[in-house]
Amino acid sequence: MAVLIVPASLLVLGLLVAPMLLMLRISLNQFSPTQMMIEAMSTENYLRAATDPYYQQVLGTTLGIALLCTLLTLMLGFPAAYWLARLESRWKSLVTILTLFPLLVGNVVRSAGWMALLGNDGLINATLLWLGVISTPLKLMYTPQAVVVGIIAVVLPYMILTLASVIESIPRNVEEAAANLGARPGAVFRRVVLPLALPGVAAGSILVFVLCMNTYATAILLGGPQFKMMAPAVYDQFIRANNWPFGAALAFILLAITMLFTVIGSIGIARRYKR
Amino acid sequence: MTITRRTMLTTSAAAMAAYTAGLPGVHAQSNQVVVGTWGGDYGQLLGDLIDKPIMKAKDGVEVLQDVANADPRKTKLIAEKQSRRGTMDIACLSDSDMYLTAQQELYEPVSADRVSRLNAVFPNLQKAYAIPHIYSAQVILYNPNKVNPAPKSFADLWDPKWKGRVGFSDILYTNNTVAAALAGGGGLSNYEPSKKKLMELRSLDVKLYPSNEALAAALKSEEVWLTTMWLARGFMWKKAGIPLEHVVPSEGAPAIVFEASIPKNSRNKDNAFKYLNAMLEPQAQIAFADKMGYVPTVKDASLPPDLAKQINLNDAERARLLQPDYDYAVKNNAAILDFWNKQFKA
Repeated sequence: MAVLIVPASLLVLGLLVAPMLLMLRISLNQFSPTQMMIEAMSTENYLRAATDPYYQQVLGTTLGIALLCTLLTLMLGFPAAYWLARLESRWKSLVTILTLFPLLVGNVVRSAGWMALLGNDGLINATLLWLGVISTPLKLMYTPQAVVVGIIAVVLPYMILTLASVIESIPRNVEEAAANLGARPGAVFRRVVLPLALPGVAAGSILVFVLCMNTYATAILLGGPQFKMMAPAVYDQFIRANNWPFGAALAFILLAITMLFTVIGSIGIARRYKR
Repeated sequence: MTITRRTMLTTSAAAMAAYTAGLPGVHAQSNQVVVGTWGGDYGQLLGDLIDKPIMKAKDGVEVLQDVANADPRKTKLIAEKQSRRGTMDIACLSDSDMYLTAQQELYEPVSADRVSRLNAVFPNLQKAYAIPHIYSAQVILYNPNKVNPAPKSFADLWDPKWKGRVGFSDILYTNNTVAAALAGGGGLSNYEPSKKKLMELRSLDVKLYPSNEALAAALKSEEVWLTTMWLARGFMWKKAGIPLEHVVPSEGAPAIVFEASIPKNSRNKDNAFKYLNAMLEPQAQIAFADKMGYVPTVKDASLPPDLAKQINLNDAERARLLQPDYDYAVKNNAAILDFWNKQFKA
C-alpha cells in the first residue's frame, strides 16, 4: 500500500523540495546590482533581515494581522459551522456549496469588489454622502481594517468547512446528555462541544493562519502602498530590487516563523485536548 | 520485401539518428517566433500591425505571444540564462530593464547587417543589444480645471498650495525619485537630493496609489490634481476622458524607450531578426503613436500634424529630453527602493 504515496511524494519532491533547496542556496549568495548575485556562503542576508527595524516591523505587522484574522475567523466561523453541521435538511448540500462560493472567485477579483465598496467614491461612501450622514468621504480603503476584512472574507470558508466536518462527528446525544444533566447551553458549548471540536479548531486555525501569513494580493490592493506584509516585501526584493539572495532569505524567515507558530499552536491545542 | 529483425533494427536506428541529428535543425528552421511582450494594447497592436500583416502574410512566420508583465519576463530571461534553448525569441522591455538584463550578456548583438531598418533609427536611440521600438518622456500631468496657472517645473509640485493634491503611483518609485532628484537640483546621475525632497513631499501629504490604474482613477475623480507620468500614458488617459494637460518640466524630461532584443538562446533567430525589422516599419510605428501615444523611433515615420502636436515634443522641449544614466540607475535601484519603502512610505 505504501506504493500509493509514491506519485504524490515525487510531485512534492520535484515541485516543492527541489526549488526550496535551490532558494536556500540562493539565500546564502551575495547581491550585486550588475551581476544579480555572487556565489557565496554567507548568512549576511539573514542577519540583515533579522536586525533591520523595518523588516522587524513588517514581520510584526504580518504576525499581528494573521493572528487577529485567525481569531476573528474562528469566532465568526464556529457558530456558522455548528449550524451547518447540525442542519438536517435537504438544503444542506446547497448551503455547503454556498459556503464554498467565495472560493470560486480569485483573490484579485474579490479585492476589486472590495475596492468598489470601500473606495472614496465607492458604494459605502456614495450612499453615506447621499444620505447626508457624512460630508467628506470616509477613508475606508488603504487601511489595516480593510485588509483584515478582505482576508477574513477569503479564509472564512476554509474555517467553516474544516470545523463543520469535525462538529458533525460529535454525536448529538452527547450534547443532549449534558443538557439532561442540567447543563445550560453555554456550559454544553464550553465543556462538551468545544473540547470535542478542538481538533477541528486546531486544523482550521492552522490552515487559516498559514493563508493569512502569506497574504499578497489583499494586502497590496486593500492595504495600499504604505501597508507592508511579508509576502509583498519578498516580491519587492525579488522583482523590484532584483535582490534574489535577500528575497530568498526573507522568504525563509517567513516560512520559519509560520512553521514555528503552527507547531506552538498545535502543541498547545494537543495538550488541552488531552486534559 | 520482407522485414527481418535485422533490417527493422537498422532502419529504426537510422531513423532515430536522423531524427536526433535533425533536432536542432528542426528547431532552428521552425517557422515560428515567440515574442515575450506585455498584453493589453501593446500586445494587441503587435498582433494587428506586425504579427498578422507582416510576419504571417509576407514571411509566412507564425507569431506566438508570451504575454506577461515586465518583471516576470525579466525574471524568466535571467532564470533561463543557463538553458541551451530559451523559451523566447524576442524580449520586449523598457530601456532600463533591458540594460539591466543586458549586463548578464543575455542578448544577441543587433546591427544594420541583420536589421536593415536600423539605418532609419535616430542615432541617439541606437544600442548594441536592442532595437528602440517606441519612446516617450516623463512629464507633469495636471488637471487644468484645478491647477491654474499651469506648473512649469517638477519643483512646482512641492508648492504648499497643492498639499494633498499630488499623487504618485507606487510602482513607479524610480521615476518619482528621479522627479524629486530633479526638483532638488540633482539629476539622472545624482539621486541624492531626492531624499530631502521626497520627505518634504511626504509632509505635504502626497497620495500614493498601488498601481497606475488606481492613480488614473484618482485623477479622474479629482482626488488628486498633479502627478508625474509618461506623456504617452497621459495621452491615453486624456483620450479616456480624464481632465488632464501636460507640461515638459523646465528641469528636463527623462526619456523612456521601449526596446526589443533577441535572447542568445533563442531557437528562431532568423525569424527574430525579421521581427525586429518589422517593428521598425513606418506604418507600424505610426499606428503605435496613434493608439498609445508613443513617439516613433525612426526618421521616416511622419505623424499627422494633429497627433504630433499631442504626443511629440517641440524643438525647445526636445532639447530638455534627458537620457538616463543606466549604470547609475541599476547600481542605485536597490537603495532607492529601500529609501522609498523605509523612509518615504514609513
